[in-house]
Amino acid sequence: MTDVLAEPIPIVIHELPPRERWRPSRAGVAARLIVLLGIGAFILASPHLIGVIRVNVLSTAATSVIVALSLNILIGYTGQVSLGHSAFLGMGAFTAGFVITTLELPWEAAVVASVLVGAGQALVIGVVALRVRGLYLALVTLVYAVFAERVLFNIEAITGGGGGIEATRPGWAFGDTAYAYLCIAAVAVVWLFDWRLTSSKAGRAIEALRDSERVAASWGINVTGFKLLAFVLSGAIAGLAGALFASVEQLISPLDFAFLGSVTFVMMAIFGGVGSRPGVVLGALIFSFLAFGLERFAEAFPDQPINASATPLVAALLVLIVLLYFPGGLAQLLRRPFRWLSFRPWRETEPAGGGE
Amino acid sequence: MTPRRIGAAAVGLVLLVVLVVSDIPLGRVVVDGTLNGSVIALVALGIAVVYKSTGVLNFAQGELGTLPAFLVLLVMMGFDLNGTVDPEAISGWDMLGYLLLAVAIGIVLGVAINGLVIRRLVDASPVISLVATAAVFFLMVGFEAVVFLPQVRTFPRFLEGAPCLESEAGECIRQFQLFGSLVLWHAIVVVAVLAVVVVLLTLLFRTQVGVALLAASQEPFAASLSGVSPRAMSMLAWGIAGGLGGLAGVLGAGVFQQLFPGMVTRDLLVLAFTAAVLGGINSMPGAVVGSILLGVTSSLTNEAALTFDVTGWIPNPPMAAAFAVLLIVMVVRPRGLLGREA
Repeated sequence: MTDVLAEPIPIVIHELPPRERWRPSRAGVAARLIVLLGIGAFILASPHLIGVIRVNVLSTAATSVIVALSLNILIGYTGQVSLGHSAFLGMGAFTAGFVITTLELPWEAAVVASVLVGAGQALVIGVVALRVRGLYLALVTLVYAVFAERVLFNIEAITGGGGGIEATRPGWAFGDTAYAYLCIAAVAVVWLFDWRLTSSKAGRAIEALRDSERVAASWGINVTGFKLLAFVLSGAIAGLAGALFASVEQLISPLDFAFLGSVTFVMMAIFGGVGSRPGVVLGALIFSFLAFGLERFAEAFPDQPINASATPLVAALLVLIVLLYFPGGLAQLLRRPFRWLSFRPWRETEPAGGGE
Repeated sequence: MTPRRIGAAAVGLVLLVVLVVSDIPLGRVVVDGTLNGSVIALVALGIAVVYKSTGVLNFAQGELGTLPAFLVLLVMMGFDLNGTVDPEAISGWDMLGYLLLAVAIGIVLGVAINGLVIRRLVDASPVISLVATAAVFFLMVGFEAVVFLPQVRTFPRFLEGAPCLESEAGECIRQFQLFGSLVLWHAIVVVAVLAVVVVLLTLLFRTQVGVALLAASQEPFAASLSGVSPRAMSMLAWGIAGGLGGLAGVLGAGVFQQLFPGMVTRDLLVLAFTAAVLGGINSMPGAVVGSILLGVTSSLTNEAALTFDVTGWIPNPPMAAAFAVLLIVMVVRPRGLLGREA
């Protein structure tokens, strides 16, 4: 212990041995590929399976999935919540209707306009509400949703008032089935975008916010800026969903965007498990097909009292049960199959606590 | 700070001049606004109590009003779902009894929600708790729609069956003029009830229990070391919120003279949230002040829209005003008028 500081301490960097990554056996790979291909084939066949009469239910469900994914970016990655996504969906839809019907521009232009309007309104609301810590974004967006439903969407010059406005589909996807494929493709695009986002630097910064705003700030992450970025991206994606929604029935009215829809979208995301793309998609699909399923159930068993009017009750019960027993939503309940499908082992082998 | 104050004062002055010069009946605006604001205040107080003591944004606060109102209506109809109520036949004292019954039902509901849902989510994030109260809201609306059917029913007001005050001309008077506004006795009852509630809440927070409630909300761990049970305090807060909900349900349904599933949520909850933010979401006096201000703003916008004839191209001016007020508060003073720095 004489002269420690005299000589520089040799720093030896040990080359870490390449970590043995768990790989499934050849049979395991084959089994996973078969299941994944099966799911893919089922999705591709779904417009035909559901039948052309009811294929619009599928298209609407796809728009709900996109809204739920957009909420996932906000809730899952920043811990903030928006109760205004019904208004965002409506703004996207009415923008599309306005561009297509009033300005007589092509459908593609409408989609671009809807995405821009979605991002713009999120920017304005986010700048005002995200400066303050706490759930103020939820409150401001909730009031915005009611304001949009009762004021904005009823301004006759823009939205056609109670009669609504038309939004014709693009010529290359005019049929109901073709349009359903377009909506499914849009879900895939949003999924890929979300996936690339989470693996980007901005995505990692946004995720760091969720875990601890203070730690994130100490790393030099602009907390408010990235929250705003997440909200603006969420608004843009909800705008895209709105443009798609407008052309499902090709006619939209203010009644389609009641503010309680926002609450349903948030319940979809939480029920599925925020932070998990497959969970959120599954949650949104279950919610979207609940009314459809109950209707079929009532047709099959006409003697019992349950029918589609029980949808809110069943949905609320599902959410409460899942929240009380699996706070992580369906993603927590189904974590093993989800892990297995992403080419990892069925059982948890990573250190405890890494359940995500 | 000073330039901002000068700016605010200038804007205020310009608005005042416009108001005085225009022929908007200001007396009526203030009277109507205060009466409407009092109903909003009953809901906003419930939101503030729960938020302050448990940190939960309660989306079910509106249905803590609608459901008791429905159950009281069931009693009024003699437990006959197809029955009707004759408002004239219900005396003021009867109505007071029904109001207290609604309060009791509200307290039971609030305590039940706390015990069955909120207490199990103590460690969950505020977003999860909010979604849980939203699910409770959907359950309650669903229950109302299943039992009472999704239809509009008439709901009695206070003192409609009261003996008439004979005027000099011998007519029956059930309302009176105040600054050009026709004031119903029911509205006076609403204001009186709000005053009683404010006095009772103020007294409560002077007692040991009230101090314990405040302590548990500010510093739960230190409070529990001093022997305050956070569970009991959560139950107390939800009980108070439920009771306030019961008041808001019966009195609010009386104001609109109707009741349908989800009514208080649809007509009052969002305004109450706005009012709570306006007054400061963690302040109970703020909830009352914010509600009355919002009520006055709404009636002012209504009168202004009529005076300047813009109802044609701005649908629902009061809602537009509420959103504008909320944005201004969030920009200028996010903690609200009486709220403390978060």
